[in-house]
Amino acid sequence: MKRVQTPITGTLRGYSVKPGDTVSVGQEVAIVESMKMLIPVLAEISGTVRVLSRKVDESIHEGDALIELE
Amino acid sequence: MSWNEELDELARRKRLAEQMGGPEKVQRQHDNGKLTVRERIERLLDPGSFHEAGATAGATQYDADGKLIAFRPSNQVIGRGTIDGRPVAIAGDDFTVRGGASDARILEKSLYPEKLAHDLGIPLIRLVDGTGGGGSVKDLDKLGYTYVPRVPGWEMIAENLARVPVIGLALGPVAGLGAARVAASHYALMVRGLSQIFTAGPPVVAHIGEQVTKEELGGSDIHARNGTVDDEVGSEDEAFARTRRFLSYLPRNVFELPARTEANDDPKRRVESLLAVVPRDTRRVYLMRPIVEAVVDAGSFFEIGKLWGRSVITGLARLDGWPVAVVASDPYHYGGAWTKTSSEKMMRLIDMAQVFHLPIVHLVDVPGFLIGVEAEQASTIRYGVRVMTAIEQSTVPWCTIIVRKCFGVAGAANRPHNRLSLRYAWPSGEWGSLPLAGGIEAAYKADIEASPDPAATRARIEERLKAVTSPIRTTEPFSIEEIIDPRDTRIMLCDFIRLAAGLRQAGLSQFTMRP
Repeated sequence: MKRVQTPITGTLRGYSVKPGDTVSVGQEVAIVESMKMLIPVLAEISGTVRVLSRKVDESIHEGDALIELE
Repeated sequence: MSWNEELDELARRKRLAEQMGGPEKVQRQHDNGKLTVRERIERLLDPGSFHEAGATAGATQYDADGKLIAFRPSNQVIGRGTIDGRPVAIAGDDFTVRGGASDARILEKSLYPEKLAHDLGIPLIRLVDGTGGGGSVKDLDKLGYTYVPRVPGWEMIAENLARVPVIGLALGPVAGLGAARVAASHYALMVRGLSQIFTAGPPVVAHIGEQVTKEELGGSDIHARNGTVDDEVGSEDEAFARTRRFLSYLPRNVFELPARTEANDDPKRRVESLLAVVPRDTRRVYLMRPIVEAVVDAGSFFEIGKLWGRSVITGLARLDGWPVAVVASDPYHYGGAWTKTSSEKMMRLIDMAQVFHLPIVHLVDVPGFLIGVEAEQASTIRYGVRVMTAIEQSTVPWCTIIVRKCFGVAGAANRPHNRLSLRYAWPSGEWGSLPLAGGIEAAYKADIEASPDPAATRARIEERLKAVTSPIRTTEPFSIEEIIDPRDTRIMLCDFIRLAAGLRQAGLSQFTMRP
């Protein structure tokens, strides 16, 4: 299973993609709030979005999977 | 009369040595997607430059007439050669002979490359593949006793870090002393899927109840992300290319200065895009790497440690042809806040810059140390003060560019304070002990709580304080020396390096590098 993980701990503020979207490397896929800033999560792998794994405004930790890709 | 007979015998033994562990073992090495040690050396060095030492060292068997009937070379191929015409020492493990294990090692031979590097003052490249000479319980059968462990030559391994560039390439499963020989370097690399590093391998950790594959235990997914090695690459050839590039920025040893190469870029080049790169909305981030690439000589930025300590970007580059070390915040990771690992990464680069006399360029966007429960659990402040101390102890020239934020204790470490160093800020600069958000609540808690309308009181205080946060006001007490047009950043840096080049001093650093 290919997954996009958050590189930082913080609060998930939103997804920039939806299931079925194609994601390429370097593309913004989500926004995480950390250190009072809104930080885009950039995909490090490519694929098609299968599942958005977390709820918006949830606390997330470095390494957590945010998106499952296929 | 001549000595041809002896020379023929020597040539015969060298031919045997070239077969390494034999066709079957060589085939297995290739089947595993790995080059042999001799192929590695050939691809790494300038063509035809390898000068081997000790090719005929190994285990022998003779018949009753004293005729050699079997020869197993020792499992290291060592010697010297050149990279871009500059001499280097090579220590190459041969996995095809006893899997690189200690029983096929010859101690004196394995120490020779370290001595070559140390005494000739030339960079050392370790091609590590196997245990690299650590012991095995098999030895006990032979010895008949146990021993208190020591790492022969460790004193030279440590001393070389203060004297010559040392590169550790993990090119296979690397355990025990092999792992130590990779990590004890200025630049360490792994090849994705091909290299694994562990203190003890899967069979040993099974005894503590962990059933894992080599890759799960010590693949580059783990070690290029925790800083055991600096980087991972996709192939052995890429590892050799990065090795050659890394060396191109460094002097041959600490008694020389990093050499200027012919400049390929205009030192007076303005970078128009920098005027609008930092968003006015302070909650929005921007990409720092393109800024670094735009201000240094075109194509000269060599990033080190991309996958770990990611709130700081570190690497080597050139300014008007002069090699420099670059440290830059990455707002995409914790807004550029210093974490435990980014502090470690920064310290590693600063120490290396100090040892090899590289001036340091620091592009700052630091909201402070990372805060929160995880950050406290990671002991962020202790690793933070380590890098702060490294900055203060450094004596190489510094130039600091404050791109945006510069807050708190971490922000204060934007440069060493024991001497003058050039510093410039962009008009997007914002600084202080604490940012307003959070800082207001802490400082005006009583006022806000006592107010009939706390939100309005907080907003009023924020508005009042915001009015004084223009960076231009900071020039009034000379708290920032100069605010520059961001487009002129390269011009300022090239001006800095012209001044700094003459200040570099060759020799042993008063403090050295701990890997």
